Amino acid sequence: MESSQFDFSKPRRQSAAGIIFLFSNTLYTLIKNLAIPIIIAVTRSDNSFFYVYVGLSVMVVLVAIGAYLKYKYFTFYLNESDDEFIINEGVFIKTNLTIHLDKIQQVNINQSLLQRIIGFYTLQIDTAGSDKKEGIIRAMDKASAEELKRRLLSRTDNREKSKVISSIDANEESNSSNPFLKLSPLTLLKIGATSNYGQTIALVIAFLAAGFQSLKDIFDIFEVDKDQVGQAFQHGITFLSIGIMIVVILLFLLIINIARTFIKYFDFEVFKQNHSLVVNSGLLAKRNTFLNPHRVQVTTYTQNYFQKKLNLLDMRMQQNATVSQSNKETKSSDVEIPGCSLNERDKILLMIFNEIPTKGIQHTPNYRFVFLSIVFWIMIPGLILLLINNWSYPLLAYLPYFTAYIAFAATMIYYSYRNHRLFVSQDYIMKRHGIWDIDHQILLPYKIQAITIKQMLWHKAANIGHITCHTAAGDISFKFGNYDTLKNLMNYWLYQVESSEKDWM
Amino acid sequence: MENFSNETIDISSLPQYQEVQLDPMHPNYWKVIVLNICITLIFIIAVSTLLFLFNEELRPYILYASLAIIAFAVFLFVIFRLSFQRRGLAVREKDIIYSSGILSSKTTIVPFNRIQHVALNEGIFSRMYKLGALEVFTAGGATGNIKIHGMAIDQANKIKELLSESLNNGI
Repeated sequence: MESSQFDFSKPRRQSAAGIIFLFSNTLYTLIKNLAIPIIIAVTRSDNSFFYVYVGLSVMVVLVAIGAYLKYKYFTFYLNESDDEFIINEGVFIKTNLTIHLDKIQQVNINQSLLQRIIGFYTLQIDTAGSDKKEGIIRAMDKASAEELKRRLLSRTDNREKSKVISSIDANEESNSSNPFLKLSPLTLLKIGATSNYGQTIALVIAFLAAGFQSLKDIFDIFEVDKDQVGQAFQHGITFLSIGIMIVVILLFLLIINIARTFIKYFDFEVFKQNHSLVVNSGLLAKRNTFLNPHRVQVTTYTQNYFQKKLNLLDMRMQQNATVSQSNKETKSSDVEIPGCSLNERDKILLMIFNEIPTKGIQHTPNYRFVFLSIVFWIMIPGLILLLINNWSYPLLAYLPYFTAYIAFAATMIYYSYRNHRLFVSQDYIMKRHGIWDIDHQILLPYKIQAITIKQMLWHKAANIGHITCHTAAGDISFKFGNYDTLKNLMNYWLYQVESSEKDWM
Repeated sequence: MENFSNETIDISSLPQYQEVQLDPMHPNYWKVIVLNICITLIFIIAVSTLLFLFNEELRPYILYASLAIIAFAVFLFVIFRLSFQRRGLAVREKDIIYSSGILSSKTTIVPFNRIQHVALNEGIFSRMYKLGALEVFTAGGATGNIKIHGMAIDQANKIKELLSESLNNGI
C-alpha cells in the first residue's frame, strides 16, 4: 500500500537537491564572512590575481565536496516498532539523534527563499523538555515532508484526541480547508503603519552600524580622501536640513516597517486542523507553524492607541520556552498573529480556552509603584544636570527642554502605573501592563510552575509585596500589591496547581 | 463529567503557607560558611601582605588597609550570619517552601507536581559536615528553581526520594 517514496522505516537520505542547498548555504556564509578580505585581496594585489582565483576555486571545490559528504552521511528513519525517529549525521564526528515520538512537541515545515527556488522544504522537529535535542532535515520535497510530519505527529495527535471529547471532531474537520483568519494587504498596511517600531529601529541601527563599517572598509581600500567627505558633510548640515532629515528618517522608518511587515506576514493565514492552529506566512521565506492549544502557556494580546482606533490587535501565544532558549530558532515555538480584530481575537481565545476569559477582580498597585521610576528617570537626570550646571557649564538656557522632558517622563510613569493591573478570576490570571503598547497576558493558574512572593523590609509597615508566577513561558509579576491579598492569592493558586489533574503541557 | 463539582471555595479555609513553621538551616552549615569566609579573608590578607612586602611606597597606608580588611571581615560575618538566620525550609504534603533574603523576605513555593528534576551537590567543606545543596528544577526557568544550601545529606536524600516518588506517581 505504501509507495517507496513514503517508506520512512529504512534509513534514507535527503532529497538530492539537498546537495545544492547545503553547498550554496555554506558558500553563502563563507562569502558573507570573507567578502571584505576577498575584495581587499583583489584590489590591493597587483599581479597576484592568479593566486587569488586559484584560492577561490579551491575553496569552492572544497565546499562542494563538503556538501556532498554531509549529504551522504545524513540519514534518517522512523522506527515504528519503538516509536522513535532517528537521525544519523556527521562525516568525521558521527552524531546519532534519537527522538521519541511521544516527546515531539511540534513539527514545522519552513521554506527559505533559496529553497523556494529549488522547490524544497526544511522540516524541523521541536521536542519537549529542557534537553536541547532538536532535529532538522534541510531538504525534503513537499509531499514527503508533509507525510513525515503526519507520521511524526500521529502519536501526539492520538494522545491529544483521547483527552478531548470526540463529538466536536466532525464539524471541525469540515471547515479546516477555509482559513480561520487571513490578513489582507490593507490590514498589513495598517499593521505596518502602527506597530513594531521598536524592532524596526533596532534593525535599522544594526544595519547602519554594519553598513558604516563596510563603508569605512571601502574608503580604506580605495583610499578616498576622507577630508573631502567630511567637508561635504559639514556643508550639508544646517537647521533646515536637520528638519528635513528628521522627516525623511521618520518616513524611511515607516516605509521600512511596512516593508518588513509585508515580507514577514504576507499571505498570513491561520487554519484550524483537528484541534490545532496552523499558521502560514511569509513573502520570501514561507513559514509554517503549528500551535496546539493545550501547549499554550501564556496568551498575550497587545494594542496601542493607533491600533485601538483601527480595531487591530496583536496576539502572541507562547509555548514552552525552555525548549528553545538556546538560539534564535526559539521564536518558532511562539505564534504571533500580527493583526486581528476584537472579534477575531475572541475567536482565537475561544479556540484556546474554550471560552472567553473573564477579567475577574481587579488588583491595583500601591502608589509607591512610581517611586523607583521617578528616582531613576527624573531625580537622577535632574541631579546630574544640576551638578553640571553648578560646577562646569551653565545649562540654564536649556531649562525649557528639561521641563518638557520632565512632563514627558511624568506622563509615561503615570501611564505605566495606571496600566499595571492584575485581574484574578476563578479560572484565569490576567495581567495588564505597558505604556504605549498595552499588553494583556492571560495565564491559566494550573500552568504555573512555581510562585515567589517577596517583601522589602521597609514595605512591612505599609503592607506591600510583590508576587511572581513562574511559568514555562517566562515570569509574570505583579508589584506593589497589598501583601495580605497577595498571600491569599498565593495560597489560592497553589491550591489550584496542587489539586488540578490537568497536564500543564 | 458526573464527578464534576464547582462549589465556591472559601479562600480563608485553604492551607495558609504563611502559618507553616519553617525549619532553620542545619547548625553545621554556619561552620561551613565560616570556613569559606576565612579562606576568602586569608587570601585577601596574603595578597595585601605580598603587596606591602614588595612595594615600599604603599607602606604608609598599612594601617588603613588593615582597618579596611577588618571592616570587610566584620561586614562579611554580619551579612552571612543574617542571611543564615533568615533562611528557612518546609516540606508540605504537596509542595516545598523555601524562604530567604536579608533586605527583603522572599518565599518561593514549588508544588511537587511541577518539579522536573532534583539535583544534590556536595562541596568539599559541606561534605566534611555531611551537608549538601539541594536544587529543585521546574520548567519555569532559572527564576523558578530553588537551591537550598546546607541541608543534612540524609534529609536531602529523603526529600529527593520523596520528590522522585511523587514524580513517578505523576506520570
